[in-house]
Amino acid sequence: MKRLESRHWVFIGLFLVVLLSMLLQVDLGVEVSSDTTRLFDYIENLPPGSTIMISFDHEASSLPEIRPLALAVLRHAFARNQRLVGVALLAEGTGIGYRLMEQVGKEYGKVYGEDYVFLGFKPQYIAAMLSMGESIRQTFPEDYLGRSYDSLPMLQGVRNYDQIAGVISIADGSLTTHWIEYAGNQYGVRVSAAVAAAMVTTYDPYLASGQLHAMIGGLRGAAEYEQLIHQGGSGLRGMLAQTTAHMYVILMILIGNVVYFRGRRKRGEG
Amino acid sequence: MDVGTLVAGLLTLAILTFLYRDNPIYKMAESLLIGVAIGYVLVVTWTNSLMALLFTPLFSRGELWLIVPFALGFLMFGRLHRRTAILSRIPIGVLIGSGAGVAIPAMLEARTLRQLSATVGPVFADGTVDISMVVVLLGVLSTLIYFYFSREQVGWWGRTARLGTWFLMIFFGTTFGYTVMSRMSTFIGRMEFLLSDFLRIIS
Repeated sequence: MKRLESRHWVFIGLFLVVLLSMLLQVDLGVEVSSDTTRLFDYIENLPPGSTIMISFDHEASSLPEIRPLALAVLRHAFARNQRLVGVALLAEGTGIGYRLMEQVGKEYGKVYGEDYVFLGFKPQYIAAMLSMGESIRQTFPEDYLGRSYDSLPMLQGVRNYDQIAGVISIADGSLTTHWIEYAGNQYGVRVSAAVAAAMVTTYDPYLASGQLHAMIGGLRGAAEYEQLIHQGGSGLRGMLAQTTAHMYVILMILIGNVVYFRGRRKRGEG
Repeated sequence: MDVGTLVAGLLTLAILTFLYRDNPIYKMAESLLIGVAIGYVLVVTWTNSLMALLFTPLFSRGELWLIVPFALGFLMFGRLHRRTAILSRIPIGVLIGSGAGVAIPAMLEARTLRQLSATVGPVFADGTVDISMVVVLLGVLSTLIYFYFSREQVGWWGRTARLGTWFLMIFFGTTFGYTVMSRMSTFIGRMEFLLSDFLRIIS
């Protein structure tokens, strides 16, 4: 068996830190940021029965981070009796999006076709976004389950973005940018986002310029949203683990720097 | 425990074995992930795109105008042979031409003009100086100067360029911090799955 190297000890340390934090099951509670409040207020203040489009623009690999965000937003929207139209512009988001909507729909006793629908995946996302601006029915003649658009009661009267109160892009990459560029700029759709933390700095300029209406990011964003809707979930449960893991990373950076500079001094390099 | 949870749990553990070192169990899980992902995308694309939008309307409902995109798509296969490769330039040309036509005005508006107007805001408002606007303006100008390579970066020009590198470093640091946060969130999410659904240690 290979001898354990220093990196292995770092991984073991991180594993133990996260494991212990999760076993403690302490609900830390978080301070809610203005960005998160903005998305909450937006859904909260829409008249009940408004149609919101939820776009699942992510891959399966980011599911652990995306899922709490999506669940929090879906729970709030369903609790406010909004009608949801789900789409996926990345193929891997298709099955995930449908399952999440179905799960939360059941929690709130919502009926498929009347309270929510999932239209499924469409390739060539830019073409799909532009096409929906003209006609959602022509872009998605059938829903994910193969039912015709016209047979779904909820979609009667929903022709294009004019009948959509806004789009919420649940993304782990740059697809939200295209929603802003094409649906937002060209059709005046109000675009909001729930994104992986790694994408927050990409979308901050759009948020500052007002092109993106609201944004929540990462597990922290999910925790803040869960706090606002008074419904605990993976976000709030993971906050202690995330806090301790970050402290552990900072500690490792400090130790690494001390070891590095001591080594340099020993070698007489400065 | 259902089979899906069992398989997901075992595959998560298989992927985590890479933290020790590269090994056949990790390789198997990695290959399975890539294979399943490609297979899934292939099936979804075939069902939702080719069948729903092309083959069914064209061959079952007789929507003959679809012969045009069908022919253009078919010409892409011209690349498979040297003598017919030139034919693939037609659909590529259509794709790039239409793509550029759609993208250029949209990107100019969203990424340049709207961003520019948000950046160049009033520094003086209501008789006071807006500090954040000053910082944004200083950051944009100094970073642009750093990327201007047609003049030697010495003197006040060089000092401003160095200030630009500081702004860049702050941006890179923030992005890296968020990326670390993102990866930690993913790890915590998998740990939660392992501890709750797979091992049922926590509720």
